[in-house]
Amino acid sequence: MFVERNNMTVSGKRDGRPIVFVHGFGCDQSMWHRVAPKFATDHLVVTYDLTGMGQSDLSAYDRKRYADLEGHMDDLLGILGELDLAGAVVVGHSIGATIALLAANKARKRINRVVMVSPTPSFLNDEAAGYHGGFTVSDLEELIAFLDQNHLGWSTQMAPTIAGQAAGEPAADELTQSFCRTDPAVAQHFARVTFFADRRSEFEAAERPALILHCDDDALVPMTVADWMRNHMPGSQLKVLRATGHCPHMTVPDEVSAAIRDFLG
Amino acid sequence: MPYRTEALAELVEDAPCGIVATDPDGRILYINGTLARWLGIEAAPDGGPDRFPQLFTMPGRLFYETHIASMMRLQGHIREISCALEVRGGPPLPVLLSGVARYDGNGSPSRFDYTIFDARERQIYEEELRGARRQADELAAIVRSSPNAILRVDGSGLIHSWNRGAERIFGRAADTTLGCAISDCLPLMDSGDWFSAAVAQCETEPEAVLEQSDSHGREFETTVAPIDGEADDLSARFYSVILRDISERKRLERRLQVTLNEMRHRVNNSLAVVGGIARQSLPQEHCQTFIARLNALASANTALAQGGVGGADISDLIAFTTEEAGGPDRLHASAASLLLSSRQANALSMALHELVTNAMKYGSLSCPDGFVEVTCDRCPTGTTGPIRFVWQERGGPPVARPTRVGFGTKMIQQVAKAELAADVTFEFDTAGVRCEIIFTPEAIDRSPGEPVA
Repeated sequence: MFVERNNMTVSGKRDGRPIVFVHGFGCDQSMWHRVAPKFATDHLVVTYDLTGMGQSDLSAYDRKRYADLEGHMDDLLGILGELDLAGAVVVGHSIGATIALLAANKARKRINRVVMVSPTPSFLNDEAAGYHGGFTVSDLEELIAFLDQNHLGWSTQMAPTIAGQAAGEPAADELTQSFCRTDPAVAQHFARVTFFADRRSEFEAAERPALILHCDDDALVPMTVADWMRNHMPGSQLKVLRATGHCPHMTVPDEVSAAIRDFLG
Repeated sequence: MPYRTEALAELVEDAPCGIVATDPDGRILYINGTLARWLGIEAAPDGGPDRFPQLFTMPGRLFYETHIASMMRLQGHIREISCALEVRGGPPLPVLLSGVARYDGNGSPSRFDYTIFDARERQIYEEELRGARRQADELAAIVRSSPNAILRVDGSGLIHSWNRGAERIFGRAADTTLGCAISDCLPLMDSGDWFSAAVAQCETEPEAVLEQSDSHGREFETTVAPIDGEADDLSARFYSVILRDISERKRLERRLQVTLNEMRHRVNNSLAVVGGIARQSLPQEHCQTFIARLNALASANTALAQGGVGGADISDLIAFTTEEAGGPDRLHASAASLLLSSRQANALSMALHELVTNAMKYGSLSCPDGFVEVTCDRCPTGTTGPIRFVWQERGGPPVARPTRVGFGTKMIQQVAKAELAADVTFEFDTAGVRCEIIFTPEAIDRSPGEPVA
């Protein structure tokens, strides 16, 4: 089921320790292309597209089911169940890290380590609690409106590819933004779910040891959030990477792979 | 080629679009003069932002971190992203952003080049387009989710659209009906070329409404209306055809009619029983009058049943009186069709009975050539003003002003005041008695059923 619905791919060492990669908002599993293959020699490697993103079956994007992160968590647990994996490592990026954490809290047998790449428990500031997530409600509402603005561009440019353009037409491929494409209506919905999620209590109740990888120059997640996680997630390790941006698995993939290996021992 | 180098430098620096080069982490390596002018940072002492996403308003920054940075690395380009630049000392500038990645000898990205186009005019146009599309989507959703069958049909009866409601009701998918004749696709009974007739009706009226049934015995209310503004040329016009399943409503209406008939029957039976008791217990001279009054009540009751639950038509009441008077030769009625509440219908019916009884005993109807003229209309005609009912006797014996007020006159006065809130005037002109009753009709409670035609 997940092979078709979530474009799931399973590779690597059949009896190796399972490692599952969960991408974040804005892209798809191709983000892991310089990290996931590094684990194929000794791990069973699973990558997939979140429902509604990338090459997943868009028709399966039920707004009620995915109205919060639990829908995506259930998908992740479904994948682990279908492959009957136990003791897996789940590596998640950004909101994918939160999905991984929720799944690990729920299914301890299936998951015994979590790696969180550029995670945040909440993008929203909570002045009353002294929590500085980096954004105000109006900042985030603007982002939602912005995604609607890019609607037109999407429908003219992306539609041919989505509609099943013949493969091997380089000129046509060149014209389409074939990576990270998302139906704008889904993107808008998922953006709301992602940016308005506040999972601080679940982060504090983390059941499994977690490795937190944080970039020291990340415009989306300020250092104060990394400090909050270090202070509120006992049993977690924080590793600060010297990197710019929110996607160290793309900008400094070798360092990310090395940090994961260190953590897994 | 020094000229070429100089020209290229000028071309880039002063291009009709903004140009930015960054390293793969988004640190700005170069901003051309055009963009610096747009941003208001030409002479900025700090030299402007040092990271590319900082050129944008907040949502653009978020989009850069979540989408653009990854797309540039993964696919090596982005195209026509709509976003806005922060302008120092001015409102944000809407732009379209495209970019391409450059690679070093090892195939690793070494530089990202972006071009930025001023999209102010385009943004206005796109905003209008988005608004229009939202509106169109909303309307389409209404048609799609309507439980009624909604079709778009051309003047010759060919179907151009067929909504889900139609699929559900008639069990045929849109692709089997589009381009087909509406008369073939809708299995309606005994209605001939109803669509052409409806189209013809639409030339003089805003819509044509018909009731039809299909072979399964379902009943439909069909509305045909020209689709506004599609074409002046009649032959190129399109029509909306909306079919609503009214089987349940019709079934209830029929049941209601049966119940009404039954009630009328029972009430009239009861009145007949009362008449029988009167005949056996009252002296002859009182008995006749009493039974005649009971008959008037029975007539009103019959008219009410025909008018449905809500009320009775005034012309039906006058028709009963015409019969009592001896037919249309004796009573010349000119009455518009006006629906009265059951309370007012009863009162007027009693008044009519007294008037006709009096005329037959003492007035114009007591002579072979005498007659009565009855007119009833809105006052003034064609408005929603009060109802003016006039009873004018002619050709009878000379009239003398009565010395006492008879029971009939008293009853008319009382009933008309209490039940009709009417102004009643009697004129005892020598040529014939004249009675005028002016009253305002009550609102009629049409629930639970409309009057049955």
